[in-house]
Amino acid sequence: MFRTGLLTLVLAGGLLAGAGAPARADAAADGLAAAKAKLDAYRAKPVFNAPGPAFDIKSCSAGKKQLSIPNSSQNPFLKGIIDREIKVGPMIGLKVEEWQNQGQPSQWVQGVEYAIRGKFSVIDLISGIDPKTIAPQIAEAKKAGVRTMTSHFYDPSQPRSALTTSDLPVSFNTIGKILADWSIVNTGGKAHIVVVKTDEVPPTGPLVDGIRSEIAANCPNCKIVQEINVGIVEWATKIQASVQSAVQAHPDVNVVLPIYDSMAQFVVPALTLTGKTGKVKVATFNGTPFVLDFIRDGKVDMDIGESLDWIAYATIDGHMRDLCGLKQPAEINVPFYIFDKSNVADAGTPAGYDKGYGDAYVTGFRKLWMLDK
Amino acid sequence: MSMDGSTPITAAPLRRRWLTLQLAERLALPAVWAVLIIGFGIVLPDSFLTWGNFAILFASYAPGAVLSLAIIVPLTAGDFDLSVGATLTLSSCIIGVLNVWGGVPIGLTLIVAIAAGAVVGAVNAFFIIFFRIPSLVVTLGTTSLMTGIVQLMTDSSTIGGIAPSLVDAVVGLRLFGVPLAFYYALALAVVLFYVFEYVPLGRRLLFVGRGREVARLNGIAVARVRAGALIASGVLSAGAGIVYAGVLGSADPSSGLNFLLPAFAAAFLGATTIVPGRFNPWGAIVATYFLATGITGLSMLGIPLWVTNVFNGGALILAVTVSQLTRGREASDIG
Repeated sequence: MFRTGLLTLVLAGGLLAGAGAPARADAAADGLAAAKAKLDAYRAKPVFNAPGPAFDIKSCSAGKKQLSIPNSSQNPFLKGIIDREIKVGPMIGLKVEEWQNQGQPSQWVQGVEYAIRGKFSVIDLISGIDPKTIAPQIAEAKKAGVRTMTSHFYDPSQPRSALTTSDLPVSFNTIGKILADWSIVNTGGKAHIVVVKTDEVPPTGPLVDGIRSEIAANCPNCKIVQEINVGIVEWATKIQASVQSAVQAHPDVNVVLPIYDSMAQFVVPALTLTGKTGKVKVATFNGTPFVLDFIRDGKVDMDIGESLDWIAYATIDGHMRDLCGLKQPAEINVPFYIFDKSNVADAGTPAGYDKGYGDAYVTGFRKLWMLDK
Repeated sequence: MSMDGSTPITAAPLRRRWLTLQLAERLALPAVWAVLIIGFGIVLPDSFLTWGNFAILFASYAPGAVLSLAIIVPLTAGDFDLSVGATLTLSSCIIGVLNVWGGVPIGLTLIVAIAAGAVVGAVNAFFIIFFRIPSLVVTLGTTSLMTGIVQLMTDSSTIGGIAPSLVDAVVGLRLFGVPLAFYYALALAVVLFYVFEYVPLGRRLLFVGRGREVARLNGIAVARVRAGALIASGVLSAGAGIVYAGVLGSADPSSGLNFLLPAFAAAFLGATTIVPGRFNPWGAIVATYFLATGITGLSMLGIPLWVTNVFNGGALILAVTVSQLTRGREASDIG
């Protein structure tokens, strides 16, 4: 009796397992197809989507001044955005100035005070200045009628600081999802991933959540093997050693995702030294020119980029809508574009910050701002 | 039993005991390193305890090892050189700018990089010795100066695409599976060891460091020795920059300064071993790779990276304390 029951149990178990395997295979194939479909949207040349209704921008911007304070002027990405804002400004009668600094909060404080004294209309805290750090000065600016805004820093899912008057977030969560989908597609649905991240930077949380959720949704046979958290100041001394250790301790790793592309310069030698170049794929985000050059040289496989000039236009659009009393877009509305071996030549040799994205936004914004009436 | 007869009987064991203690002090750090390797080897037999892992570890920490060797030269002469990290960055960025942007042949860029290191050392020496400004102040100033120059040169951007021949010469070519970068550090340690131990210049360096006035009264050209030590550290730091550029295959304008504290930690930790109480090249090499082993093992275990900072700092303080205890807490010649 007992033996018969056991046999039935074993048979039933076998049938269940047999039924489960195709289901899992179906889920994997469906996930792979879903990931591929999502990626295709970011491979096409970016098109301009209006972030809101057309408006006469000059009626609000003419004669006004904007002070852009980057997290650090030594960061070429941020300095590049501001340089382009300065060029866009005269088109609409807006004077844009940069508050040059070396990433020290005391210098940001000085910047806000300069804006108050200089009767600026807008202070733009670009990518990386947490408003809490300079709360008293922002409150003082508010009293003086200067609007303080953040741009290109938070994810839309993160609560906006109560100190600022408006915010132009970037969907870092979407970037995480693109990185995950790319890993799924380029490993045939068998990605074993090492994520290199910097938790101290606020957008990291939503970005890594995007990787995790997309892997969970689209890839039953993928896994994040290790997440390596490295502080910004330790990138040079810790990333290479940690990635070397990770790929050696887990030989099944086939993708490394340094989530910000300046990390890639330390991932590349780690793979060279461990003999994993070509065997382990590297995908990242930011579109920094030297990393695009790495793609051309075969050291990095993919980089998600944004055009700095497009960001400059979109930032000014968002801030001027706020100044005009119009509704701001929920996101900065700059498209993400995937660079890989197939299209990296479009970025130039050596690569540049704005090359390869097309210029659909220039006519798009001019029309939206009613400049070509 | 006379006093004369009893003295040799008690002195011999005392001397033996003293020699044993001295040997224990010399070999304490290598022994702890071995224990660390065995410990990680037991926990991670398949990944940690492989020749491939050590080959990579030896190569990737070579720039740090060369930098710690650069530091011990002026330290022995009694001067701090805080500018070594910035010199490393300057050197690697000169290579990047000239080779990648300027199309200058890689061999020529290496010469320019080394020459720049010598110039930095000479500038440091001029202000430290001629104007008698403390070395900490001058080298802090030149660090900031070079950081600015590097930002100007590179537009604060990383420069990728350095000539593959440099990358091959540093990490591409291997001997016994270990990239050549490691052997460059070893060769430098051999040269420094020879100079420190067997050449009069090495002794003069030590005398100057232990007592400048006494050295001067003994006829040693103190200023020349100190200047030479500072120029040597500039040149060697530029060498570390070459190795760094070769390891990365690119020039990063902002990261070199992060090597400064680990290199000083290795120099001071190294002064507790092999030749305890003196900055010595083999001690610096052992200390560099002891710390690297700890970081690698902890990383492989998936332990958060903040633990490695605790390990580095804890190991340094513990080792120096143990060394002081074995020396009967006598006043240290260092620092």
